[in-house]
Amino acid sequence: MDNFKYFKPQNFKELLNVKYDLSSAGFPLAGGSNLLIYIKEKSIRSGTLIDITSLKELRGIKKTGDTIEIGAAETISGILESKVLENELPFFSVSMRDFANPLIRNKATIGGNMADASPVADTAPPLLVLDAKVVAASKSGIREIPANEFFSGPGKNNLSKDEIIQKINIPVPERGSGIFLKLGQRKGTSISVTSVAVWIVNDSNKITGIRISLGGVAPVPIRAVNAEKAFSGKIIDENNITALAETLKEDIKPISDLRGSAEYRTAVSINLLKRAILTCLKTEE
Amino acid sequence: MGEKEYYNIKLTVNGKVVTGSVRAEISLLDFLRDNNYIEVKKGCDKGDCGACTVLIDGKATVSCLTSALQAQGKNIYTLKSLGSWDKLHPLQKAFVKYEALQCGFCTPGMLMTAKALLDTNPHPARESIKEAISGNLCRCTGYRKIVDAIEAVGRGEL
Repeated sequence: MDNFKYFKPQNFKELLNVKYDLSSAGFPLAGGSNLLIYIKEKSIRSGTLIDITSLKELRGIKKTGDTIEIGAAETISGILESKVLENELPFFSVSMRDFANPLIRNKATIGGNMADASPVADTAPPLLVLDAKVVAASKSGIREIPANEFFSGPGKNNLSKDEIIQKINIPVPERGSGIFLKLGQRKGTSISVTSVAVWIVNDSNKITGIRISLGGVAPVPIRAVNAEKAFSGKIIDENNITALAETLKEDIKPISDLRGSAEYRTAVSINLLKRAILTCLKTEE
Repeated sequence: MGEKEYYNIKLTVNGKVVTGSVRAEISLLDFLRDNNYIEVKKGCDKGDCGACTVLIDGKATVSCLTSALQAQGKNIYTLKSLGSWDKLHPLQKAFVKYEALQCGFCTPGMLMTAKALLDTNPHPARESIKEAISGNLCRCTGYRKIVDAIEAVGRGEL
């Protein structure tokens, strides 16, 4: 018999205490768009739903120094509506336009999407190329986990049992431009088959700095370090881009599932990467 | 195995205060239907179809993935807040005029999404309408007539 409890902490300290006490039996509940499905599907049978939506420590999108801080309980709609992001880092808000659909964007949160640790989490590739940090909080303090080191497997993250995500910190890049491309099976409400984010610093067609991240081609969202090395310092044209993009094969380990075969995902990743890089190079800063 | 715990809940549906006692994991959709708001439709019950769309504090979202307890103190609007038989809302009139439904199961959710869109964007372009209803599935119409109907209200035709 399923048995759930509900608890709404009145302040941040109470949240950290209750998460410590309940440990893995305490489930932070923000939008609920993942958690309620897991309850209905009975992959979670008991525990305490800890309602975190109204705690001010987990809300807000603001710029502090050179860092943009996004509260873990901010919705994807909130990110799309944020003037701070629109002005300071439009790449990230634009990246969220294809997240699920407007109904889900009104409830799904950035913290929830990261914590859920899906290999195709749509917040992950953009955050990975931005070198974002996940700020984890517990009774014993806070620590920053690089987004690239946050995931440990499909549906698994590196939070301790007593930790919650408080916010996501994004260092605002001084230079460069970015793009996030995702391929789904249809336009609306689509789970990504494969997604690619790139951040490029370039001098005309010469790439002076590049970060590449992919979703859906490995157990967790990844940084494509081999492809990054291959592209770094190169002058890109139509003739060399394909060979360079094919170095992605050393970075990815796609599987075949109901949304696409491994071969298909490999081909799509390479094509998305080429398209992403060419689009960035055409975008004059 | 211990007794299941119940929690008191109080929220406002279509302007009327509704109270009850619910389990921790109950969805807003189930709470509403248990309280006879059966105009809120249960389709997939996992956030894919949008049939259960309601407005929560003005924003359209799926009630099936909303915890009822998280709706505590909030203003919920369902289809029945739009209009009545003798006084249809312009969106309802448009859906009739443009034949924007066949079986009608998606219509309560579709209309609430359209209402939320027009509340923030009174004269939406077709592309904005398509984007707004992208979380509401319709298996009958092919969407075109739905977009036509919403667009007609946007240009003040009804």
